[in-house]
Amino acid sequence: MTLRATARPAPAGAEVPAGHGRTPGTRPRRLVPETGLQAIIWVITGLCVLCPVLPLLYASVRSLPVYESGGGFTLAAYGQLFADPAFRAAAVNTLEFAGVTTVCSVLLGAGLAVAVSRTDVPGGRGYSRLLIAPVVLPPLGLILGWNALYGPGGYAHQFVNDTLHIPFNLSTVPGMAVLGTAVAVPVVFLVCQAALSGIGPELENAARSVGAPPLRVLARVTVPMLRPALLNAGLLVFTLSIESLGIPLVLGSPQGHDFVASYLYNTWSSGSTPDPPIVSAGATVLLACACLLLLLRGRLLGDQARFVSIGGRGGGQAPVLKLGPVARWAACALIALYLAATTFAPIAALALSSVVSELTPLVAPWHLLTAASWRAIGRGDYVSSIRNSLEIALVGAVITAALVALATAVAHRSRFRLRQSLPFILLFPRAIPGIIIGIGFFWSFVIVNPPGHALLNSIWGIMLALSVRSLTLAYFVMSGAFATVSDSLDDAARSGGAGWWTTMTRITLPIVRPALFVSFVLLFVSILNDYDPALFLVTPGNQIMGVTMLQTLQAGTTGPVAALAMVQVAITVAAIAVAARLFTTRVRGSRNA
Amino acid sequence: MPEITVLGLSKTFGKAAALSDVSFSVRDKEFLTLLGPSGCGKTTTLMSIAGFQRPDEGLISCGERAFFDGARNVCLAAEDRNLGMVFQSYAIWPHLTVFANVAFPLKIRRTKRDALRRKVMETLELVEMADLAGRYPHELSGGQQQRVALARALVYSPEVLLLDEPFSNLDAKLRERARTWLKRLQGELGLTMLFVTHDQDEALSLSDRIVVMNGGKVLQTGTPEEIYRNPASRVVADFLGRCNIMTAKVATVAGVAPPGGPVSLVLTANGQPVTVAIPHANLAAGDEVQLAVRPEAVEILGPDSAAGSPAESAAAENTYLAELRTVSFLGDHYVYELNADGQALTVTSTKSVAGPSVMVRIPRSACKVLPA
Repeated sequence: MTLRATARPAPAGAEVPAGHGRTPGTRPRRLVPETGLQAIIWVITGLCVLCPVLPLLYASVRSLPVYESGGGFTLAAYGQLFADPAFRAAAVNTLEFAGVTTVCSVLLGAGLAVAVSRTDVPGGRGYSRLLIAPVVLPPLGLILGWNALYGPGGYAHQFVNDTLHIPFNLSTVPGMAVLGTAVAVPVVFLVCQAALSGIGPELENAARSVGAPPLRVLARVTVPMLRPALLNAGLLVFTLSIESLGIPLVLGSPQGHDFVASYLYNTWSSGSTPDPPIVSAGATVLLACACLLLLLRGRLLGDQARFVSIGGRGGGQAPVLKLGPVARWAACALIALYLAATTFAPIAALALSSVVSELTPLVAPWHLLTAASWRAIGRGDYVSSIRNSLEIALVGAVITAALVALATAVAHRSRFRLRQSLPFILLFPRAIPGIIIGIGFFWSFVIVNPPGHALLNSIWGIMLALSVRSLTLAYFVMSGAFATVSDSLDDAARSGGAGWWTTMTRITLPIVRPALFVSFVLLFVSILNDYDPALFLVTPGNQIMGVTMLQTLQAGTTGPVAALAMVQVAITVAAIAVAARLFTTRVRGSRNA
Repeated sequence: MPEITVLGLSKTFGKAAALSDVSFSVRDKEFLTLLGPSGCGKTTTLMSIAGFQRPDEGLISCGERAFFDGARNVCLAAEDRNLGMVFQSYAIWPHLTVFANVAFPLKIRRTKRDALRRKVMETLELVEMADLAGRYPHELSGGQQQRVALARALVYSPEVLLLDEPFSNLDAKLRERARTWLKRLQGELGLTMLFVTHDQDEALSLSDRIVVMNGGKVLQTGTPEEIYRNPASRVVADFLGRCNIMTAKVATVAGVAPPGGPVSLVLTANGQPVTVAIPHANLAAGDEVQLAVRPEAVEILGPDSAAGSPAESAAAENTYLAELRTVSFLGDHYVYELNADGQALTVTSTKSVAGPSVMVRIPRSACKVLPA
């Protein structure tokens, strides 16, 4: 935290003397050279992102935990890891899960994106909002909802297996991949939709003007132009899938189907020796895979220039493909059914299971109604974990939004020599599996003391880890917003004598205010609902919601967990609703101005 | 090639009328230009003809075929209209090579492989792009992309070629070359072209006829010369070339003036007399009219000293003493901003004169009385 405080050594007021220096020929004076400021921002950002990685690598090649003296260099942990049949089984499961999830979600997500934005399906615009809902819903809540609905003993389990005769077991690897697909579809959908909206209507109109019928236009122009987006989305989903922790932990592990992440977590929390090096080694392997995928993605997407369409002005996009009246409504109903089955019914089942004494399809739920779960979360540890979660989400979101805004400004709007490394640094946390951030921060807190131990024994260490994990989200929003602001606006301020700091804080950042706000809300929701890294950092008395839920669930209690998940859902929906409302009024206000 | 007829086209976006009662026709082998400021409805008209926008009412037909008929609820899909279109942004498909871009329309038409290759290469020859056939669009300059767009629109010999501000993304020099080149191409191939632009020079130099639009309405249709010399309204006069607009009052009408007969007016700005020849006779004393005078039509007689005594010169018809405000040298001519006793005048001339004041004469025939 002391580091963060130095992030703002030069308040905007520091340049006031420059404003008074009106005598001709006087150059505005600055208290802190702008390069210094930019360097500070760069160092802080870099530290936050590298903090979890370097100690992890170090810990993985030590013979003893790093806090014990006398250890030496060894690769024994890696040997032990690869010799463990449980790890190999987990790796196979992970690959199978990630592969199935990637293929299914890319096909489904791209299909939905084309259907919604290029055909006249009724309610297309509404659907495009609902389809991305799982992105902001608490991931753990969605998993628990699926478990309550489709899991063994879930409300719809019997219907699917016995009435529809679909042999479906959510706890197997293919079963988990179905849930994985539902979680990943919004990611693919978002990437494809962004790509589709970037394809100007002229490109499709041009094909029609030379006589191509609608299906041909879709097949020959629209879909081929989506290729880079599909590749990008596929690699992204694959990377996210291999680090899945919540899905195996809730569904697979109890049945013996572990993934790499859950294997590492279980080894960590139930191993006979504390903090075994084998976990650090496994995490390093996972990290290497993620980094390879990141590099591969960069390489494959490199030759993208030819897919950037040229020029073109805005304007409405008419549907390319006009479905017949029957097909239109059939498609509409199919999408509605998909949304109900993957998102709304699970959340409803989650809500239901929070108010019944037992989760069972055998007894009508109204006979089992009870408020016990909700009363339970109003007491003791549950309340303090809700309060802790809200606290770290709020504080973390404010600090991270500010840091990312400044870091984006350095990356895209400065002449700082190392600026080109910043986008990579800012994108890196998304590529690092969550458990690595957790384990890595644990080691850095252990090694760097102070302030490590103080952070480890409070909720602020968790906040730091969760904030770092989420900061890429804010970077996506901010870099997009910066790209829409013409450089000439900055240049105008600078030619008027404003330094970099003044230009950013008075001109550029105020212009992108709505984006700052959006990034704050996204960070808040993401930090509130995240739990992977926290699993490794939680100490008694410093619980947060996600960890409390997982630990309670492993102890065999479901009611209060469902109630806590509903609390997460409620806070998330409220935050998004408030943000959407504020945001639209702001946009409207600025348009009127 | 058939002619395109547009009749009574109307369209509203929300409450704003984008087009109201637009009618014109494009004759066989004609180069017709829709000219107007941005937002005047010219692109909406073009998009309605191409089939990318659906008008609310009216009729669009190409020869015998009805493209759109509001009354009979006929609206032919864009791909079935067999028109060629060049988009403002060119809309070259970035995932296809130059060759594949141009070949696409022929593939849609199931052209045999050999014929396809021959035709594509012929068309690329025509636009001087044959040696770049294997390139991708991002490897081309703006002018080259523009020619690919044209080749793609020409390759299947469509009935009519529609062009939506195709030169607006080119720099001035390139634009001029592209213009001459397009005009030559049109003559050689005998194409029927409908061209949309807001650039008056482009419209004047290329068109057989021009349709001037503003606010969703057609203001005037005619050859470039007709429109330039006899603008139907102040807006047209203003938009097409520079123009001095002067208000004046009718002093006397010489009896029942024959059409073309002289009418004496008094300029509102300075009370000086001006005599004009008017094409119609329904003017009465006291009527207020607007005069349009092209800057190049005003004669500069020289500095006041060279033209005898001011009183003597001023006695001649439509001759005024004017104070010289500014002079700009534009290479082949000068632009003078003058002030004739309160009446501002812009004059272009190849003659170089020095101030402080000059004598100018406005020939009778140069004063156009604009319809009220």
